[in-house]
Amino acid sequence: MFWTGSTMLSPGRRDGNRPRPGASHPAAMEVCLMENATVEDADLVRRVLAGDQGAFQHLIERYQVRLFALARHYTQSPVEVEDLVQDTFLKAYSRLESFKHQSSFFTWLYRIATNTILDSLKRRGRSPVQTVEDPEMVGEPADRAVVRPDSGMENEEISRITHEVLQQLPDIFRVVLVMREFEDLAYQEIADMLGISIGTVESRLFRARARFKQKLLQMYPNFAGA
Amino acid sequence: MVMNCKSARSLVPGYLDGELSEAQAAPLRAHLMDCHDCRSVAQEGKALKGWFVDERPWGVPAGFAARVARRAFAGDTGAVYAESPREAEGRVLDFVLQLTAAAAAVLIALSIGISSLERPQSNRMRADDLTFEETMRRLEELNAEEDRKGAPEEQPVDEPAREDDSR
Repeated sequence: MFWTGSTMLSPGRRDGNRPRPGASHPAAMEVCLMENATVEDADLVRRVLAGDQGAFQHLIERYQVRLFALARHYTQSPVEVEDLVQDTFLKAYSRLESFKHQSSFFTWLYRIATNTILDSLKRRGRSPVQTVEDPEMVGEPADRAVVRPDSGMENEEISRITHEVLQQLPDIFRVVLVMREFEDLAYQEIADMLGISIGTVESRLFRARARFKQKLLQMYPNFAGA
Repeated sequence: MVMNCKSARSLVPGYLDGELSEAQAAPLRAHLMDCHDCRSVAQEGKALKGWFVDERPWGVPAGFAARVARRAFAGDTGAVYAESPREAEGRVLDFVLQLTAAAAAVLIALSIGISSLERPQSNRMRADDLTFEETMRRLEELNAEEDRKGAPEEQPVDEPAREDDSR
Protein backbone atom coordinates (compact mmCIF):
# COMPACT_ATOMS: atom_id res chain seq x y z
CA MET A 1 0.00 0.00 0.00
CA PHE A 2 1.30 3.42 -0.81
CA TRP A 3 1.51 6.44 1.41
CA THR A 4 -1.62 8.44 2.05
CA GLY A 5 -0.05 11.49 3.61
CA SER A 6 -0.91 10.72 7.17
CA THR A 7 2.12 11.62 9.20
CA MET A 8 3.93 14.59 7.76
CA LEU A 9 1.62 17.52 7.81
CA SER A 10 -0.19 18.11 11.00
CA PRO A 11 1.65 18.03 14.27
CA GLY A 12 -0.92 20.41 15.76
CA ARG A 13 -3.93 18.10 15.77
CA ARG A 14 -2.54 15.17 17.70
CA ASP A 15 -4.12 16.17 20.99
CA GLY A 16 -7.60 15.50 19.59
CA ASN A 17 -9.51 12.24 19.71
CA ARG A 18 -8.00 10.97 16.47
CA PRO A 19 -6.11 7.69 16.75
CA ARG A 20 -2.59 8.44 15.55
CA PRO A 21 -1.75 6.90 12.21
CA GLY A 22 1.22 4.63 12.60
CA ALA A 23 0.64 4.42 16.34
CA SER A 24 2.06 0.93 16.40
CA HIS A 25 5.53 2.41 15.85
CA PRO A 26 7.38 3.54 18.94
CA ALA A 27 6.79 7.27 19.11
CA ALA A 28 10.43 8.11 19.79
CA MET A 29 11.54 6.19 16.72
CA GLU A 30 9.00 8.00 14.55
CA VAL A 31 10.15 11.41 15.80
CA CYS A 32 13.74 10.37 15.19
CA LEU A 33 12.97 9.24 11.62
CA MET A 34 11.12 12.46 10.86
CA GLU A 35 13.98 14.54 12.23
CA ASN A 36 16.42 12.59 10.08
CA ALA A 37 14.25 13.16 7.03
CA THR A 38 14.11 16.88 7.80
CA VAL A 39 17.87 17.07 8.19
CA GLU A 40 18.40 15.16 4.97
CA ASP A 41 15.89 17.37 3.15
CA ALA A 42 17.60 20.50 4.40
CA ASP A 43 20.93 19.16 3.22
CA LEU A 44 19.51 18.19 -0.17
CA VAL A 45 17.89 21.62 -0.56
CA ARG A 46 21.22 23.28 0.24
CA ARG A 47 22.97 21.14 -2.37
CA VAL A 48 20.31 21.85 -4.98
CA LEU A 49 20.71 25.58 -4.41
CA ALA A 50 24.45 25.10 -4.90
CA GLY A 51 23.71 23.62 -8.33
CA ASP A 52 23.64 19.89 -7.62
CA GLN A 53 21.16 18.37 -10.09
CA GLY A 54 21.59 14.92 -8.55
CA ALA A 55 20.41 16.26 -5.19
CA PHE A 56 17.24 17.56 -6.80
CA GLN A 57 16.67 14.21 -8.47
CA HIS A 58 17.06 12.64 -5.03
CA LEU A 59 14.41 15.00 -3.57
CA ILE A 60 12.04 14.13 -6.41
CA GLU A 61 12.58 10.40 -5.90
CA ARG A 62 11.85 10.85 -2.22
CA TYR A 63 8.46 12.51 -2.68
CA GLN A 64 7.25 11.57 -6.15
CA VAL A 65 5.15 8.63 -4.91
CA ARG A 66 3.23 10.84 -2.49
CA LEU A 67 2.56 13.49 -5.09
CA PHE A 68 1.44 10.98 -7.69
CA ALA A 69 -0.93 9.53 -5.08
CA LEU A 70 -2.29 13.01 -4.39
CA ALA A 71 -2.77 13.98 -8.02
CA ARG A 72 -4.51 10.70 -8.86
CA HIS A 73 -7.43 11.68 -6.66
CA TYR A 74 -8.21 14.55 -8.99
CA THR A 75 -7.84 13.06 -12.44
CA GLN A 76 -7.99 9.63 -13.92
CA SER A 77 -5.70 10.50 -16.80
CA PRO A 78 -2.16 9.16 -16.16
CA VAL A 79 -0.73 11.79 -18.51
CA GLU A 80 -2.44 14.57 -16.61
CA VAL A 81 -1.27 13.15 -13.29
CA GLU A 82 2.31 13.12 -14.54
CA ASP A 83 1.98 16.69 -15.82
CA LEU A 84 0.68 17.89 -12.46
CA VAL A 85 3.47 16.25 -10.49
CA GLN A 86 6.12 17.39 -12.92
CA ASP A 87 4.80 20.93 -12.79
CA THR A 88 4.85 20.82 -9.00
CA PHE A 89 8.53 19.84 -8.89
CA LEU A 90 9.49 22.38 -11.55
CA LYS A 91 7.74 25.13 -9.61
CA ALA A 92 9.36 23.95 -6.41
CA TYR A 93 12.79 24.16 -8.01
CA SER A 94 12.17 27.62 -9.41
CA ARG A 95 11.04 28.84 -5.97
CA LEU A 96 13.47 26.89 -3.86
CA GLU A 97 15.26 30.01 -2.69
CA SER A 98 12.04 31.12 -1.03
CA PHE A 99 11.90 27.95 1.10
CA LYS A 100 12.78 29.19 4.59
CA HIS A 101 12.78 25.84 6.43
CA GLN A 102 9.96 27.08 8.67
CA SER A 103 7.98 23.96 7.79
CA SER A 104 9.14 20.58 6.56
CA PHE A 105 10.16 20.46 2.93
CA PHE A 106 7.28 18.12 2.19
CA THR A 107 4.70 20.45 3.76
CA TRP A 108 6.06 23.24 1.56
CA LEU A 109 6.04 20.94 -1.49
CA TYR A 110 2.55 19.67 -0.70
CA ARG A 111 1.23 23.21 -0.66
CA ILE A 112 2.71 23.86 -4.10
CA ALA A 113 1.19 20.59 -5.34
CA THR A 114 -2.25 21.47 -3.98
CA ASN A 115 -2.14 24.93 -5.52
CA THR A 116 -0.99 23.47 -8.82
CA ILE A 117 -3.87 21.00 -8.82
CA LEU A 118 -6.47 23.58 -7.80
CA ASP A 119 -5.12 25.93 -10.42
CA SER A 120 -5.36 23.28 -13.11
CA LEU A 121 -8.97 22.53 -12.12
CA LYS A 122 -9.75 26.22 -12.32
CA ARG A 123 -8.04 26.53 -15.69
CA ARG A 124 -10.26 23.77 -16.96
CA GLY A 125 -13.31 25.84 -16.22
CA ARG A 126 -13.89 24.63 -12.70
CA SER A 127 -13.48 26.69 -9.59
CA PRO A 128 -13.18 24.54 -6.50
CA VAL A 129 -12.18 27.32 -4.17
CA GLN A 130 -14.37 30.23 -5.11
CA THR A 131 -17.49 28.43 -6.23
CA VAL A 132 -20.53 29.55 -4.35
CA GLU A 133 -22.32 26.64 -2.77
CA ASP A 134 -25.66 26.86 -4.43
CA PRO A 135 -28.43 24.65 -3.08
CA GLU A 136 -28.64 22.79 -6.39
CA MET A 137 -25.21 21.40 -5.78
CA VAL A 138 -25.85 20.20 -2.29
CA GLY A 139 -28.65 17.73 -2.70
CA GLU A 140 -30.80 16.26 -0.04
CA PRO A 141 -29.26 13.59 2.14
CA ALA A 142 -30.38 10.17 0.99
CA ASP A 143 -33.01 8.60 3.20
CA ARG A 144 -31.34 5.25 3.07
CA ALA A 145 -28.21 4.55 5.01
CA VAL A 146 -25.10 3.44 3.23
CA VAL A 147 -23.40 0.28 4.35
CA ARG A 148 -19.76 -0.25 5.06
CA PRO A 149 -17.97 -1.89 2.11
CA ASP A 150 -18.46 -5.62 2.13
CA SER A 151 -15.63 -7.36 3.91
CA GLY A 152 -15.42 -9.71 0.96
CA MET A 153 -14.62 -6.87 -1.42
CA GLU A 154 -11.04 -6.29 -2.39
CA ASN A 155 -9.68 -2.88 -1.41
CA GLU A 156 -8.86 -2.30 -5.06
CA GLU A 157 -12.52 -2.72 -5.96
CA ILE A 158 -13.67 -0.41 -3.15
CA SER A 159 -11.14 2.14 -4.28
CA ARG A 160 -12.30 1.93 -7.89
CA ILE A 161 -15.93 2.48 -6.89
CA THR A 162 -15.06 5.33 -4.54
CA HIS A 163 -13.08 7.19 -7.18
CA GLU A 164 -15.76 6.56 -9.74
CA VAL A 165 -18.23 8.26 -7.40
CA LEU A 166 -15.76 11.03 -6.54
CA GLN A 167 -15.36 11.87 -10.21
CA GLN A 168 -19.09 12.59 -10.29
CA LEU A 169 -18.89 15.19 -7.53
CA PRO A 170 -18.33 18.90 -8.10
CA ASP A 171 -14.72 19.86 -7.40
CA ILE A 172 -15.76 21.98 -4.44
CA PHE A 173 -16.80 18.78 -2.65
CA ARG A 174 -14.19 16.45 -4.08
CA VAL A 175 -11.35 18.67 -2.88
CA VAL A 176 -12.41 18.65 0.76
CA LEU A 177 -13.14 14.92 0.71
CA VAL A 178 -9.73 14.13 -0.76
CA MET A 179 -7.98 16.39 1.73
CA ARG A 180 -9.88 15.00 4.70
CA GLU A 181 -10.34 11.34 3.85
CA PHE A 182 -7.28 10.48 1.80
CA GLU A 183 -4.72 13.07 2.77
CA ASP A 184 -5.79 13.05 6.43
CA LEU A 185 -5.53 16.82 6.75
CA ALA A 186 -6.99 18.50 9.81
CA TYR A 187 -9.80 21.01 9.40
CA GLN A 188 -7.40 23.86 10.07
CA GLU A 189 -5.00 22.64 7.38
CA ILE A 190 -7.81 22.35 4.85
CA ALA A 191 -8.98 25.83 5.79
CA ASP A 192 -5.45 27.20 5.31
CA MET A 193 -4.99 25.44 1.98
CA LEU A 194 -8.29 26.68 0.58
CA GLY A 195 -8.35 30.07 2.25
CA ILE A 196 -11.68 29.44 3.97
CA SER A 197 -12.82 29.30 7.60
CA ILE A 198 -12.97 26.14 9.69
CA GLY A 199 -16.76 26.54 9.85
CA THR A 200 -16.89 26.51 6.06
CA VAL A 201 -14.69 23.41 5.99
CA GLU A 202 -17.11 21.66 8.37
CA SER A 203 -20.21 22.59 6.43
CA ARG A 204 -18.59 21.78 3.10
CA LEU A 205 -17.46 18.39 4.37
CA PHE A 206 -20.94 17.67 5.69
CA ARG A 207 -22.46 18.46 2.31
CA ALA A 208 -19.72 16.62 0.44
CA ARG A 209 -20.36 13.45 2.42
CA ALA A 210 -24.11 13.74 1.87
CA ARG A 211 -23.49 14.16 -1.84
CA PHE A 212 -21.03 11.27 -1.93
CA LYS A 213 -23.51 9.00 -0.21
CA GLN A 214 -26.30 10.11 -2.54
CA LYS A 215 -24.18 9.43 -5.64
CA LEU A 216 -22.93 6.11 -4.29
CA LEU A 217 -26.45 4.87 -3.67
CA GLN A 218 -27.57 6.21 -7.02
CA MET A 219 -24.82 4.35 -8.86
CA TYR A 220 -24.76 1.28 -6.61
CA PRO A 221 -28.17 0.84 -4.96
CA ASN A 222 -27.05 -2.52 -3.59
CA PHE A 223 -24.91 -0.70 -1.01
CA ALA A 224 -27.97 0.73 0.71
CA GLY A 225 -28.49 -0.39 4.29
CA ALA A 226 -31.68 -1.08 6.11
CA MET B 1 -24.05 18.18 31.78
CA VAL B 2 -26.35 16.01 29.69
CA MET B 3 -26.02 16.44 25.92
CA ASN B 4 -29.12 16.56 23.75
CA CYS B 5 -29.46 14.83 20.38
CA LYS B 6 -29.16 18.03 18.36
CA SER B 7 -25.83 18.95 19.93
CA ALA B 8 -24.62 15.38 19.70
CA ARG B 9 -25.32 15.04 16.00
CA SER B 10 -23.57 18.29 15.19
CA LEU B 11 -20.47 16.92 16.92
CA VAL B 12 -20.49 13.46 15.34
CA PRO B 13 -18.58 14.39 12.12
CA GLY B 14 -15.88 16.20 14.09
CA TYR B 15 -15.68 13.23 16.43
CA LEU B 16 -15.22 10.78 13.56
CA ASP B 17 -12.61 13.09 12.03
CA GLY B 18 -10.66 13.31 15.29
CA GLU B 19 -11.24 17.03 15.60
CA LEU B 20 -12.82 17.16 19.05
CA SER B 21 -11.04 17.92 22.26
CA GLU B 22 -11.45 15.39 25.04
CA ALA B 23 -13.73 17.86 26.83
CA GLN B 24 -16.07 17.73 23.83
CA ALA B 25 -15.62 14.05 23.02
CA ALA B 26 -16.34 12.64 26.51
CA PRO B 27 -19.95 13.85 26.86
CA LEU B 28 -20.62 12.86 23.25
CA ARG B 29 -19.40 9.34 23.91
CA ALA B 30 -21.64 9.17 26.96
CA HIS B 31 -24.60 10.34 24.90
CA LEU B 32 -23.90 7.81 22.14
CA MET B 33 -23.88 5.04 24.71
CA ASP B 34 -27.41 5.94 25.75
CA CYS B 35 -29.01 7.14 22.52
CA HIS B 36 -29.73 4.54 19.87
CA ASP B 37 -30.66 7.04 17.14
CA CYS B 38 -27.52 9.14 17.54
CA ARG B 39 -25.45 5.99 17.71
CA SER B 40 -26.92 4.93 14.35
CA VAL B 41 -25.92 8.29 12.87
CA ALA B 42 -22.38 7.85 14.15
CA GLN B 43 -22.19 4.29 12.88
CA GLU B 44 -23.37 5.33 9.43
CA GLY B 45 -20.76 8.09 9.35
CA LYS B 46 -18.14 5.54 10.23
CA ALA B 47 -19.43 3.16 7.55
CA LEU B 48 -19.16 5.92 4.96
CA LYS B 49 -15.56 6.57 5.93
CA GLY B 50 -14.86 2.92 5.21
CA TRP B 51 -15.24 3.69 1.50
CA PHE B 52 -12.29 6.05 1.37
CA VAL B 53 -9.47 3.71 0.55
CA ASP B 54 -7.08 4.07 -2.33
CA GLU B 55 -5.37 0.97 -3.51
CA ARG B 56 -5.61 1.28 -7.24
CA PRO B 57 -2.63 -0.17 -9.06
CA TRP B 58 -0.26 2.39 -10.47
CA GLY B 59 3.37 3.33 -10.67
CA VAL B 60 5.65 6.30 -11.20
CA PRO B 61 6.87 6.38 -14.80
CA ALA B 62 10.42 5.11 -15.22
CA GLY B 63 13.05 7.85 -15.24
CA PHE B 64 10.58 10.49 -14.04
CA ALA B 65 12.85 12.03 -11.40
CA ALA B 66 15.89 12.27 -13.67
CA ARG B 67 13.82 13.77 -16.47
CA VAL B 68 12.20 16.41 -14.27
CA ALA B 69 15.51 17.31 -12.58
CA ARG B 70 17.08 17.77 -16.00
CA ARG B 71 14.24 20.02 -17.13
CA ALA B 72 14.41 22.07 -13.94
CA PHE B 73 18.11 22.68 -14.36
CA ALA B 74 17.53 23.55 -18.02
CA GLY B 75 15.36 26.46 -16.88
CA ASP B 76 11.87 24.98 -17.26
CA THR B 77 9.70 26.58 -14.59
CA GLY B 78 6.53 24.61 -15.09
CA ALA B 79 4.50 23.06 -17.87
CA VAL B 80 1.69 24.95 -19.45
CA TYR B 81 -1.35 22.73 -19.46
CA ALA B 82 -3.29 22.08 -22.59
CA GLU B 83 -5.82 24.84 -22.64
CA SER B 84 -9.48 24.14 -22.15
CA PRO B 85 -12.05 25.08 -24.80
CA ARG B 86 -13.06 27.96 -22.54
CA GLU B 87 -9.48 29.19 -22.41
CA ALA B 88 -9.15 28.88 -26.18
CA GLU B 89 -12.39 30.80 -26.57
CA GLY B 90 -11.06 33.44 -24.19
CA ARG B 91 -7.85 33.75 -26.17
CA VAL B 92 -9.77 34.20 -29.44
CA LEU B 93 -11.95 36.81 -27.77
CA ASP B 94 -8.88 38.61 -26.45
CA PHE B 95 -7.36 38.56 -29.92
CA VAL B 96 -10.54 39.95 -31.50
CA LEU B 97 -10.74 42.69 -28.86
CA GLN B 98 -7.09 43.60 -29.38
CA LEU B 99 -7.57 43.64 -33.13
CA THR B 100 -10.63 45.86 -32.79
CA ALA B 101 -8.76 48.23 -30.50
CA ALA B 102 -5.83 48.38 -32.93
CA ALA B 103 -8.17 49.06 -35.87
CA ALA B 104 -9.91 51.82 -33.92
CA ALA B 105 -6.54 53.38 -33.08
CA VAL B 106 -5.50 53.29 -36.75
CA LEU B 107 -8.80 54.90 -37.81
CA ILE B 108 -8.42 57.67 -35.24
CA ALA B 109 -4.84 58.30 -36.33
CA LEU B 110 -5.91 58.39 -39.99
CA SER B 111 -8.76 60.80 -39.36
CA ILE B 112 -6.43 63.10 -37.41
CA GLY B 113 -3.86 62.86 -40.20
CA ILE B 114 -6.38 63.59 -42.94
CA SER B 115 -7.87 66.56 -41.11
CA SER B 116 -4.42 67.99 -40.52
CA LEU B 117 -3.72 67.85 -44.28
CA GLU B 118 -6.47 70.41 -44.83
CA ARG B 119 -4.86 72.90 -42.51
CA PRO B 120 -2.22 75.45 -43.62
CA GLN B 121 1.22 73.99 -43.43
CA SER B 122 3.05 77.36 -43.11
CA ASN B 123 2.69 80.65 -41.29
CA ARG B 124 1.42 82.41 -44.40
CA MET B 125 -2.20 83.20 -44.11
CA ARG B 126 -4.59 82.55 -46.88
CA ALA B 127 -7.65 84.59 -47.69
CA ASP B 128 -9.99 81.92 -46.61
CA ASP B 129 -8.32 82.01 -43.24
CA LEU B 130 -9.04 85.76 -42.73
CA THR B 131 -11.93 87.11 -40.83
CA PHE B 132 -14.21 89.69 -42.34
CA GLU B 133 -12.50 92.58 -40.51
CA GLU B 134 -9.06 91.36 -41.47
CA THR B 135 -10.11 91.01 -45.06
CA MET B 136 -11.43 94.56 -45.14
CA ARG B 137 -8.29 95.90 -43.50
CA ARG B 138 -6.14 94.01 -45.96
CA LEU B 139 -8.12 95.36 -48.87
CA GLU B 140 -7.72 98.90 -47.56
CA GLU B 141 -4.00 98.38 -47.29
CA LEU B 142 -3.89 97.16 -50.87
CA ASN B 143 -5.85 100.25 -52.00
CA ALA B 144 -3.52 102.57 -50.14
CA GLU B 145 -0.52 100.85 -51.68
CA GLU B 146 -1.92 101.26 -55.19
CA ASP B 147 -2.67 104.89 -54.49
CA ARG B 148 0.94 105.45 -53.54
CA LYS B 149 2.10 103.86 -56.79
CA GLY B 150 -0.36 105.92 -58.80
CA ALA B 151 -3.73 104.92 -59.94
CA PRO B 152 -3.77 102.93 -63.14
CA GLU B 153 -5.00 104.78 -66.26
CA GLU B 154 -8.63 104.48 -66.83
CA GLN B 155 -9.43 102.27 -69.67
CA PRO B 156 -11.72 103.79 -72.29
CA VAL B 157 -15.09 102.35 -72.04
CA ASP B 158 -17.17 102.02 -75.14
CA GLU B 159 -20.30 103.77 -74.40
CA PRO B 160 -23.29 102.21 -75.88
CA ALA B 161 -24.57 104.14 -78.82
CA ARG B 162 -27.16 106.55 -77.67
CA GLU B 163 -30.35 106.29 -79.42
CA ASP B 164 -30.86 109.24 -81.69
CA ASP B 165 -33.63 111.12 -80.04
CA SER B 166 -33.86 113.39 -83.09
CA ARG B 167 -35.19 110.69 -85.04
